[in-house]
Amino acid sequence: MTLDKQAASGRVRIAVDIGGTFTDLQVVVGGQVFALKTPTTPADPSDGLFTGMREAARRFGFELGEADLLMHGTTIATNAVLERKLPPGALITTAGFEDVLEIGRHFRRDVYGLKPEIMPVLVPRDRRLGVAERIRGNGEVELALDDAAIEALAAKLDRLGVECAAICLINAFVNAAHEERLRDALARRLPGLQVSISSEVSPEIREFERTSTTVLNALLMPVVQRYTRRLTERLASEGLGLRIFLVQSNGGVCSLDLAGAQPARLLLSGPSGGALAAQRIAAETGFPNLVSVDMCGTSFDVSIVQDGASTMVRQGEVDCLPVRRPMVEIRTIGAGGGSIAHVAAGGRLEVGPESAGAMPGPVCYRRGGTEPTVTDANLALGRLDAASFLSGEMSLDLPGARSAMARVVAEPLGVSIDEAAEGVLAVANAKLAAATRLSLFEKGLDPRDFAMLSFGGAGGLHAVEVAEAVGIRRVIFPRNPSTLSAWGILHSDIVQDFARSRVLRLLEPELPAMDALIGELRTASERFFAEQDIAPADRGLSLAADVRYVGQAFEILTPWRREIGLGPTTGAELAVLLADFHAAHRQRFSYADPDAAVEVVTLRLTATGRVSNPKVSLADAGTDATAARTRPIYMRGALRDVPVVRREGLAPRATIAGPAVIEEGYTTLIIDPGWSARVDPHGNIVAETGADS
Amino acid sequence: MSTLSVIEIEIVRSALTAVAAEMDVTIWRTSRSTIVRELLDYSTAVFDADGFNLAQSARIPMHLNSMGAGLRELIERFVPIEEWGPGDVIVTNDPYCGGQHLPDILAFRPVFHEGRRIAIVGTLCHHIDMGGSAAGSYGATATEIFQEGLRIPPMKLYRGGVRNDEVWAMLLQNVRKPDLVAGDLGAQVASLTVGEAGLQRLAAKYGTGAFLEAGQRILDISEAAMRDTIRRIPDGVYTFEDFVDDDGITDDPIRLEAKIEIRGDALHVDLSGCAAQVTGPINATPSMASCAVYYAVIACADEPIPANAGCYRPVSMTLPPGTVVSAKHPAPVAHRICTVHRLANTILGALAGAVPERIPAAYYGVSYVCTFQTIAESGDRKVLVEIEIGGAGGHPEQDGASAYASGMHNNSNIPVEMIESDMPLTLTGYGLLPGSGGDGQHRGGLGLWREWRVDSPRAAFTCNLDRFKFAPYGLAGGKAGSFGRLTLIRPDGERQSLGSKVTNLPLTRGDVIRLETSGGGGWGPPERRDPAARQRDSALGYV
Repeated sequence: MTLDKQAASGRVRIAVDIGGTFTDLQVVVGGQVFALKTPTTPADPSDGLFTGMREAARRFGFELGEADLLMHGTTIATNAVLERKLPPGALITTAGFEDVLEIGRHFRRDVYGLKPEIMPVLVPRDRRLGVAERIRGNGEVELALDDAAIEALAAKLDRLGVECAAICLINAFVNAAHEERLRDALARRLPGLQVSISSEVSPEIREFERTSTTVLNALLMPVVQRYTRRLTERLASEGLGLRIFLVQSNGGVCSLDLAGAQPARLLLSGPSGGALAAQRIAAETGFPNLVSVDMCGTSFDVSIVQDGASTMVRQGEVDCLPVRRPMVEIRTIGAGGGSIAHVAAGGRLEVGPESAGAMPGPVCYRRGGTEPTVTDANLALGRLDAASFLSGEMSLDLPGARSAMARVVAEPLGVSIDEAAEGVLAVANAKLAAATRLSLFEKGLDPRDFAMLSFGGAGGLHAVEVAEAVGIRRVIFPRNPSTLSAWGILHSDIVQDFARSRVLRLLEPELPAMDALIGELRTASERFFAEQDIAPADRGLSLAADVRYVGQAFEILTPWRREIGLGPTTGAELAVLLADFHAAHRQRFSYADPDAAVEVVTLRLTATGRVSNPKVSLADAGTDATAARTRPIYMRGALRDVPVVRREGLAPRATIAGPAVIEEGYTTLIIDPGWSARVDPHGNIVAETGADS
Repeated sequence: MSTLSVIEIEIVRSALTAVAAEMDVTIWRTSRSTIVRELLDYSTAVFDADGFNLAQSARIPMHLNSMGAGLRELIERFVPIEEWGPGDVIVTNDPYCGGQHLPDILAFRPVFHEGRRIAIVGTLCHHIDMGGSAAGSYGATATEIFQEGLRIPPMKLYRGGVRNDEVWAMLLQNVRKPDLVAGDLGAQVASLTVGEAGLQRLAAKYGTGAFLEAGQRILDISEAAMRDTIRRIPDGVYTFEDFVDDDGITDDPIRLEAKIEIRGDALHVDLSGCAAQVTGPINATPSMASCAVYYAVIACADEPIPANAGCYRPVSMTLPPGTVVSAKHPAPVAHRICTVHRLANTILGALAGAVPERIPAAYYGVSYVCTFQTIAESGDRKVLVEIEIGGAGGHPEQDGASAYASGMHNNSNIPVEMIESDMPLTLTGYGLLPGSGGDGQHRGGLGLWREWRVDSPRAAFTCNLDRFKFAPYGLAGGKAGSFGRLTLIRPDGERQSLGSKVTNLPLTRGDVIRLETSGGGGWGPPERRDPAARQRDSALGYV
């Protein structure tokens, strides 16, 4: 059925990932996949998007009118927050709780810091308005909202002249009546005001996190709506009838309307494309457990695919502001190619956290950088080639890198330049390995069960050594690593999450209360499917619960393996959830307590509208691997003559024994001694160590 | 013995810190009680084979720098290191045996590799209750430690991996929330197991000899860095005094004096000018007082130094027994944090004489610990322990932050909605306190107010607060922050001002407790404050 739909509506699908520097496209044309990069246009990102689409159409031989689907990843929401390009907004709270947003959760990040970190407060105190009302923890109304209070509030908002307002009332996650009444009343009195209510944006317990999320949502509404409007108008003016979806933080896509109403879902959507790609690669390579590491100039991001699915969290943060939306779980550390090496107090060799970033960048970029970085260390050792960097587009300054390394690291420590540079890499890799291990560790996972998926500009230079340090024996380097996120987006579905928070014991007498919540969730999902025009055959529902032992603060997101029918939940279904929770707790935390009381805090329903998967085939290209040349590389304490091959030249199933260097468009892969690499049927390079390959 | 390069040492250091972080994650995610799970009142650390601190998780200075002192005391005086065997877990909560106060249970495990003791891992958790006269073991009127709860002398809770069930049962019999205490103690043991495995993995990778050598070199490097930073502080003697309001028994103020002498690369802190120990439970022991010293000295370093026992070597102190910073048994200590915060204020004040450009005015300087025990019609009892905070002091470079966890502790607050979903309490308000920050070129951060209303037929309220009489000081001409206040508001609106130390105040349905915390002191003369900043303060209602 889905294939029919695809056949009927067009043969071209476009996925676009707009990043800070490049706009990446992946296009399916008649079953073949093509990739393209074009510069991002920050003033209006849709310029770059259209340029890219036109260029793709020209190059890959299709008419834009043939495209029926545009899947679009954008950092517009995240950037608006980071750059504070947000409209003035107001926050409406229960009277007496106007400062919850500013008080936050107290704790400091720098334990020994005497100079306080200034936490961003997006709505200042004079635009936070309390309203007399109170709902209790059990949902009962203690103080009803009266009309006079609403009138007074509307008048104040009118005077403030704000474009948008967030409403977050205490305990609104249990009873949304007051928030809804306020929203409707304000809509009547102040029709131009964009209003966002917490019971819709983040209907979960914990007032600060809910307030923070709702405020971000409200402030982003005008920003994102402006963008989606412009995009729609532009498509209409070009006569294009594409369906457009935006990528969300939860690894799925949503319609433009939904993105405009709930723009918080676009925050932290950056990793979604990579996660989708990782899931896809897990499926096609047959390695269901992947640690995905994305290393660029400034950061190193780790995420996990377990049993074929990316692990998710219920909350993240952008610029220290909590965003409570389901999102791909990611651990980011500030270590990348630009991390600066220096000798610190007491003669310690430190790498980072300071970074040379893109400007001035590493010494070898010749943009004014003077401090040696990880990239300079790679160049100094011969791991990077001064002449063939970025396919020769940018020649690197090898003497500059070596002399900076000598001045800053080698001389103070009394070692050779090679030893110093190798030391810088070792210290950097130790940090990367610790972050990778912690990501697995906190979930009770064993590295030996995992393969590493490496991408990002700097990943290929470090992945094998990091994998070795963590105890991972297989590293996958995907094809088209520089447009991998767009490739992931190409395969996304429409995903909508619904949640209801209520602290309930997992006991049979509580089942009617739970069924009532599940009923609400199901109703909401049906409305969503209808609104989004998703055919019954393409609909999917999955239920999960945030479960904990009574008294714990942190719940385990436990999938509830059951039918989501109309009948009441059975005792047997409850027992399944309980057993799965105990098992998950034991895996993560090494103990379970079957006798302890267990409670659910939030029930979650994920509604998926399947977008037909594009049927693609891989273009057969490449010839046998011939190492036309070698270059001297200082590796593991000795200078070696290491074969260098071009990735494009590798035939499917070709194998290369380490040590070897594989160069491709934007990256260089190092295959260490003791490892070997082969090209798999999908075009991925799989490096392995040990006899188990 | 191999000689390791600085690179190898740095790699081992990052691995040790990673182990402490893994131990930390284990407790964070497995603990049961609100105080651990939401207030984050716990720490983890890795020690060398002799009990010297090598690496710690980034949590609470009060715990971190005292665990090492406690462990050393425990080894030297109570359980000789030769008696520590594989799989043992040694615990104590006794302040007179290296502990903090009774709710804090220290748990340590020796780590063996190839038959040799290579390290010790440790955790400290603040438990919800340890018995005694008030819920939360936070009685404010104890006059000897016997009233404060159950004391666990240093002992093996696990021997060779096997739990001593009799001790376990006795412990749980004596506490108000046995299930939560058992859960949190289980989390501590799980964390030790994780730490042990992590260190064994490291020793296997680098070899036992190299692992041990790296530990010693890590200490040497921090010592050298610490000596460098002390050398950059002008030589001299710097003295400062501050006061604790009272001990809750009498109204007498308690004077703290720090005399800091810096000579070359060594720093000496003389606390012999501090008042004699007091009757009420705000006494500190040497291990507690020393962590205020270590915290302040590490914090004022002009470059980041990995905090470990090496940093302590250039620092010496005089702590005469019988003073409020070095109390003798059986003085009560439940609220020693009050004196330790004030000691940190005092030492930082003294250091401001030496490096004025680095030191902010006083922060609020007290952990606002408020405990509610609610009693339902059925007799069902529930306990809530809250720790609130105030404002940070104005800094030489910027205003102080409002409602900002500062100094010796580093807690999170408890969400209002979490309390209300679980307890018969309603929070009637929670906000910043305008005007509470000390005026100055850089204003002190604001304190806050919080109100709890009792919804059960009966409840008891206990707290131990301070700075109701001696406000957080200003520096460089800045004004002091505000006084703390506590008010009981009856359902008929009658308001009754309460003192800073309250034990088991009976409350009934509808009673409201209102807490107001101190703002930080101001820095620099008020007349030098930027007019634009003044305008913003008044527009936003901060003053």
